[in-house]
This record gives sequence, structure tokens and C-alpha cells, in this order.
Amino acid sequence: MKFLMLKLEPIIWQLFGGGMMLGAFLYPAYLLVIGFTAPLGITPIEGLSYERVLGLASSIPGSVLIAATISLPLWAAAHHVRHIFIDFGGLERDGFVGLVCYGSAAVGSALAIIAVLRLHF
Amino acid sequence: MMTRRARVDSMKPSTPGPTRTAPPRMPDNFPGRGNYLGYITFGLCGFVLYAVGFLMLRTIWALGSGEREWDRLIEGFQNPVYILFHVFCVISLTWFALRFFGLFPKTQPPNIGRFKRPPDIFFLVALNGGFLAVSLLVIAVLSGVLL
Repeated sequence: MKFLMLKLEPIIWQLFGGGMMLGAFLYPAYLLVIGFTAPLGITPIEGLSYERVLGLASSIPGSVLIAATISLPLWAAAHHVRHIFIDFGGLERDGFVGLVCYGSAAVGSALAIIAVLRLHF
Repeated sequence: MMTRRARVDSMKPSTPGPTRTAPPRMPDNFPGRGNYLGYITFGLCGFVLYAVGFLMLRTIWALGSGEREWDRLIEGFQNPVYILFHVFCVISLTWFALRFFGLFPKTQPPNIGRFKRPPDIFFLVALNGGFLAVSLLVIAVLSGVLL
């Protein structure tokens, strides 16, 4: 597993970098509206009506953006969490930790693509 | 004074050398003090990214499951526990983003492609300004003001 992770390191770094950018730029404002201002009525809840959000999300640019915004930050998260485990626990269990972290990011990415495709069918 | 043994296995030579060396040790202020605190907190934000990524996945999944499921999800977001969790995520990811933008110039090489690297202030203004602009755009779209 460690050998595979070393071979995949350049690809993981690309996914990590993209995820850092997308997560940093988009998540705070997304969370602010969907999780705070809209539920408290500070911003209009009509902005999150089913027809409107489905229309935005099922457009081609919307679908691509959503799939990327879910999946890439999962890879950034996986890389961060793996390195936290290395900092505290060393490299002894890195193979297993890496498998769990990157495996969950891969499963999450696949589910994100399926979730977006479900909007179209 | 050094206290705990470091878990830096990569520092260990594959075969013992002729010179006796002490095992690597973690610095005194790891992980809770000095620059380590910010470094570890930044890394721990990975768990928040995980949570928000999977939460967003659940949101889009509910959207694909129909209007009833979507309305139930949006209604569920009015639960105070969810609101507190979202506030925590907003604060931690905003700090994460600003720290990332602050660190970004240090990761850039002297030349980017054929061009000379711009000064640090360029990256800081572009990233922080971009963050503000994109955040306002996302808020406007999700609030129904735009599109």
C-alpha cells in the first residue's frame, strides 16, 4: 500500500491542491447560507426552493461544479488527516491510514458523481 | 529540554551507521504551543472538510431523491444542533482558508512556467480578494438574489 501511495503521490497532490482551493473558496459561504442565514430567516429561504436549486444543480456547469466541490475537498481532507496521523502516530500504520483516508475520498467521489447523475435521470 | 520520543520513522537509517546518534525527539512545545498549535489545528481542519464534503453529498443526494426529501432536509437544518455545527464549520473553514492563502505564496517557486514569480502581495491580494468576491457571489446565488 505504501508503494502504491508513493506511485500515486503526484495524482493525490493534484487532487489535494484542487480540493484545498475549492474547499477554501466555496465552503464557508455555502455553509453560511445553507446552514445559518437561510434556516434563521436572515436570507430568504425561497432561494433554496426545490425547483430553483434543482434547476441550478442540474445545469451542466452546476453539475460539474457540484461534483468537483464535493469530491476534491474530500481528497484534501484525506491528505490532511493522513498527515495528522503521521505526526502523532508515525509511519507504522501509514499504509492502513492511507487506505482508509484515500479510500473514503474515492468512495465519496464516486458517490458525488452518482448523486449528480441522479439529478439528470 | 527534549521530552518525548519522536515518531519520525523516516529519519531512521536502514542500517546502523558507525556514529552513535540519539533517537529523534519531538520538540517540547509539540503539539500545543508555538507554531505547532496553528499547524496541528490546520491539519485537524481536514476532519471539518470531510464532514462538510459528506454533508454536501447528503444534500445533493436529497435533492435527487425528490421534493419531499429536499424539504425534509432543509427543515432539518433549522435544528439548533445543526445550526451550531454549521457555525463551527464556517468559523473553522474561514480560518483554514485565510491561513491557506497566507501560506500559499511560500509554496510558489521563483519561476512559474516562463514567467517570474509575482511578489507575495500579489498572491495575498488575489487570493483574499478572490475569496471575498466568490463568497459574495455564492451568498447571492444561494439567497436567490442572482440567477
